[in-house]
Amino acid sequence: MRTPRLLRPLPLAAAIAAVAANARADSGVGVDTWRANKLDPTAGATVEGCDARGTSWLEAGGHRTPTGNLYACPPPSPATADHGAWTTSGILSVGAVATGGDDGNALWNRYVDWDGGIVLALLAFEAERAADGSYASVRASRISDDDEYYQAVFGRAGSYKVQAFLRDMPNLVTNTAKPIWNGVGTNHLTLPAGYAAGASTPDAIAGLSAATPERTLGVTREKQGLGFSVYLTPQWTAYANATDEQRHGARPFGGPFFFNFPFPDNGGVLETVKPIDDSTVNLSGGFRYAGTTWRMEFGYSGSFYRDRYTRYTYEMPFALAPLVPGAVSAPLTTGQFATEPDNDWHNLKAAFTRKLPLNGELSITASGGRMSQDDTLIPPVACAGVFGIGLDGNLQTGPQNPYLYDCANWNTPDALSRRSADMRIDTSLLDARMVLQPGADLTLRGGLRHEREDYRNVYLAYNPLTGQYGYVSENGSQGSVVPGESGIWDPTDPSAITRIRSLPLDMQTTEANIGADWKVGARDTLGATLAFSRYEPNHRERGTVDDGSIKLSWTNRALDWLTLRANYTYLHQDGDRYDYDPYDFTYSISLPGFVAPPNGVPAHTVDALRKYDVASRSEHKLDLMATFMPRDDMTVSASLRGDFNDYDADLGRKGYDTLGATVQWEWQPAPGSNASVYYAYDRSKLRMANINEINDGGSNPSIGGNTYVDIGRWWADDTQRNHNAGVVLAHAFGRVRLDASWNYLHARGTTDYRFASPLALAWADTVIGDGAGGGAFPAMTYRVNSFSVGLHIPLHERVALRVFDLYERGRISDWHYLGFATTHAIDHRVYTDGGPQGYDANLVGVLLDVRL
Amino acid sequence: MRSTDAIRRLLALVLGCATLVPALAQQSRDELAKSLPPTNLTSDDVQVGASMIGVAPGFANAKVADNPGAPGATAVGERTCIACHRLESEHFTHTFHALGLHAASKADASIPVCETCHGPGSAHAKDPGAKGLIIGYTKDSGTPIETQTKTCLACHAGGPRDRWLGSVHQRNGLSCTDCHNPMAKFSAEGLMARASINDTCAQCHRDVRLQFNRRSHMPLPEGQMSCDDCHNPHGSVTNPLLKTNSVNETCYQCHAEKRGPFLFEHAPVRESCLNCHTPHGSNQQTLLVTPLPFLCQQCHSGLRHPNDLHTPGSLGNGAHPDERAMGRACVTCHANIHGSNAPSGPKFHE
Repeated sequence: MRTPRLLRPLPLAAAIAAVAANARADSGVGVDTWRANKLDPTAGATVEGCDARGTSWLEAGGHRTPTGNLYACPPPSPATADHGAWTTSGILSVGAVATGGDDGNALWNRYVDWDGGIVLALLAFEAERAADGSYASVRASRISDDDEYYQAVFGRAGSYKVQAFLRDMPNLVTNTAKPIWNGVGTNHLTLPAGYAAGASTPDAIAGLSAATPERTLGVTREKQGLGFSVYLTPQWTAYANATDEQRHGARPFGGPFFFNFPFPDNGGVLETVKPIDDSTVNLSGGFRYAGTTWRMEFGYSGSFYRDRYTRYTYEMPFALAPLVPGAVSAPLTTGQFATEPDNDWHNLKAAFTRKLPLNGELSITASGGRMSQDDTLIPPVACAGVFGIGLDGNLQTGPQNPYLYDCANWNTPDALSRRSADMRIDTSLLDARMVLQPGADLTLRGGLRHEREDYRNVYLAYNPLTGQYGYVSENGSQGSVVPGESGIWDPTDPSAITRIRSLPLDMQTTEANIGADWKVGARDTLGATLAFSRYEPNHRERGTVDDGSIKLSWTNRALDWLTLRANYTYLHQDGDRYDYDPYDFTYSISLPGFVAPPNGVPAHTVDALRKYDVASRSEHKLDLMATFMPRDDMTVSASLRGDFNDYDADLGRKGYDTLGATVQWEWQPAPGSNASVYYAYDRSKLRMANINEINDGGSNPSIGGNTYVDIGRWWADDTQRNHNAGVVLAHAFGRVRLDASWNYLHARGTTDYRFASPLALAWADTVIGDGAGGGAFPAMTYRVNSFSVGLHIPLHERVALRVFDLYERGRISDWHYLGFATTHAIDHRVYTDGGPQGYDANLVGVLLDVRL
Repeated sequence: MRSTDAIRRLLALVLGCATLVPALAQQSRDELAKSLPPTNLTSDDVQVGASMIGVAPGFANAKVADNPGAPGATAVGERTCIACHRLESEHFTHTFHALGLHAASKADASIPVCETCHGPGSAHAKDPGAKGLIIGYTKDSGTPIETQTKTCLACHAGGPRDRWLGSVHQRNGLSCTDCHNPMAKFSAEGLMARASINDTCAQCHRDVRLQFNRRSHMPLPEGQMSCDDCHNPHGSVTNPLLKTNSVNETCYQCHAEKRGPFLFEHAPVRESCLNCHTPHGSNQQTLLVTPLPFLCQQCHSGLRHPNDLHTPGSLGNGAHPDERAMGRACVTCHANIHGSNAPSGPKFHE
């Protein structure tokens, strides 16, 4: 039974009592560091523009950061009002927005809900009491019901701070959804009246899909939180945070009833709609100490996830047919998914830092955590009657039908080896770092880190009702199409190969590094770091994966008009012997009584394939950043980054290279006037190889054996190119301020492939001729032009009018969805999502800014 | 969410917080002055055993910063500074630092304001054009980066900044003021140098910021999150400056449903979300590194269906529409790819 939802909504009493718990996160703990929205991602920082008087009366122009970037022009001082000991200031910005064009498009509405109508662009109100540093503030913005935030803060500078917030964030996933089921958003999807589950024809379902109007699917996050931090003494501080977030909505998901591609008018590939209805409570709290000799932190973090549903079910529209002539398939009507389990996470952390001689520091951090869940397990299958194949042409279970199973033996929790999951992972971390600065010009560094994840349970797929091992594959469909592939092993079918155990993935990582930074004169710093890492996963292809790397860095400030930073890293990853199949123990192969098939156990995979996370590889990584200051009022920033990975893999990922460059020019000729132009280009290329088999029952895992031969090889390169450009302008024409911007992205991804022979192909007849060949998928493109222009027109000392327009034109092509404009249903495949669409959309708004 | 619900939730929180105001915020100046420490307090031993709640201990320790560039300089006080830097003072007045320092200084005149950060001003006042006589935080101030950061850390050491020394930003010669500008309220939160955390990080990491413009991305351009939600730029126990101990723990902060542990786990998922996803932005669906099915085929070459090479003929408008390449491709069937809690989910079908 599920635990009831936690703290939804957060009751008032809990809010007061839990002021020792918070939602205000800092840069060291938690999320929620920023609340804003697309109407103003700066949360009001730029509403009032720039102080026309600039930064200083002593010198013209702005200052630069130590790196060389121009500081922004400070905002004008707020209009304040005195109320006794308190001074208040604020701004209220309200108005209306309207959208036009393709304003229902999912890409246009990504993480924003332009509902149109009245908006609260910003309410920012602050009160301060100078006498003791007390303050209180409120900030809020509301675009629509699903896109809003409210925040209240009070405290006393240097003493304590209490913060509360609410935030709703939309995430529109698609606007081209055509779900054929009723009950979208619930945990039970049913076919409309007139469409029989397990007995509808593809034509009928295609018609149903075509007649289903397009709709949007999305998920909204509603979050509320409390935060508290306090100085207990000048050295000791405490903090506490609590947040509660609910997600609700629906999104496209899956639904397998076996393949359709090899079996026309058979199987079932369903893109169903998953309900999202859950909540997460996050807690954190701790104490920090900062003295002249010691610094310490003791912290706790916890997270508690609760899903309203344990499973969701959906109706399968199509009938299945056996591959064996004369046999009959069980009628299956219902599929199921387990939702993500309710889970708890606790983590304790203690960190100690002590000043050392030689101006050094030693830091030790220890952390231990536990993630666990004990969700009720759903039954292995949701069917009624029987599943499998009646070889004799009827659906009566018995010796005559060895591959036909009673659902009653599998559609109940009694069919499980245990009723709940009872899974747990314990985590631990010990990290030590020492820094010594024996001279002003030299810094020596060293670090050690050890991290573990320990699984504390395994699950055995065993049915005590039948004494059989395994599970019911694909809602019973696989065994209802192919005899003997139900996913079940028993002594009467001793060669069936199926999963019988969960896969514990215990691991530990040990790292060490040493390094030095040397200031060569006053303007150059050279650095070098040697690092070693040993990753030891259990039950993976390698038991040991070793990384060794050297990193060189150089910072140069030799020229007054240039700051240059350069970093280069070389890394080599290797490990012990690569075992292409470490998973035998999780299969029925490991059971006593298992009998290998006459032709041997089919190869799990090809032994030449290397999974890239544990494969041997070498990496060269380059990072150059330069900040030029050609004039007092200009900055040019440029960067070049490259990351080149070569994998020692005949099959699998062979390489992954990225290279990108950016250049940006910024000009601030006067307070209130600035311009910037940027361009960026990056390119990535991922190279991979694989091999198709010649014999899907072959037992030899090596190329050249009875399973894989060279003519089954194929290669694919995925190349992504992105061009980004933009112009930003701001200028004050007298008291009227103009802001304008143009941002452009052109992304183009191409996937091309080569193959040794048509044997490599899924569909050999899609190419002409024999022998080596190749081709490419249509380019996957995403191009966005975004223009915005706004005028800020003061009407009064305290009142200003803002008028703005945002026009965006997006074009997208994703080959996964080619053909979906014609139909979402092809044979026994039914897709809900029609894929992303291009758009031309416009937002216009009028706001009245009132200084409070 | 309906507006009435929002109002109800807001009221609950605000009322809850408001009940604490009288207890914590109302304190007379005399009471404040009595409870404040008498002068500069820099020792660990100060006020040991005494509760400092309500006396603004965060600013009570303020002292004139040490400026090695002006060893003989003495403090001159805020008024002297303002004589020349009136406009700077006007902007500074509306910052959090000003609120705290002014309150502390009013209670104890020995507590400096400007000179807490800028060091003693006498030498600078005598020779304003000489670099380094006052602690400056600008490119041409003449103050070494180390002096700048040391001054900030005199008050801000520990906590999120505990790992500053030795961090990648420290080693690359960044100063606190590359990211923060406490001289005016440039940002709604955090006294950032630019209008937001994201804009601030983009000064150097423009390429990363632009990745968020791609088709699938975290909601950073929309202002719904910041770089700081995942990264601690001041240093952390991980190389990419993550706020938690690992990539996955970072992701679980907002995607707790992915934490599990599941009955059936997918090895690369448990190892690192970044095996399949790129964290900032992607032109694939759902932040994937490369298109499906090729993403999966980097690791899966099992018999039968996983290892076939698909061509455009497998697409919805091709000669052989094939579910392995269409729509969600592999994850249409292996939908619970992050892990399944279904007893019949070892291949993530259920």
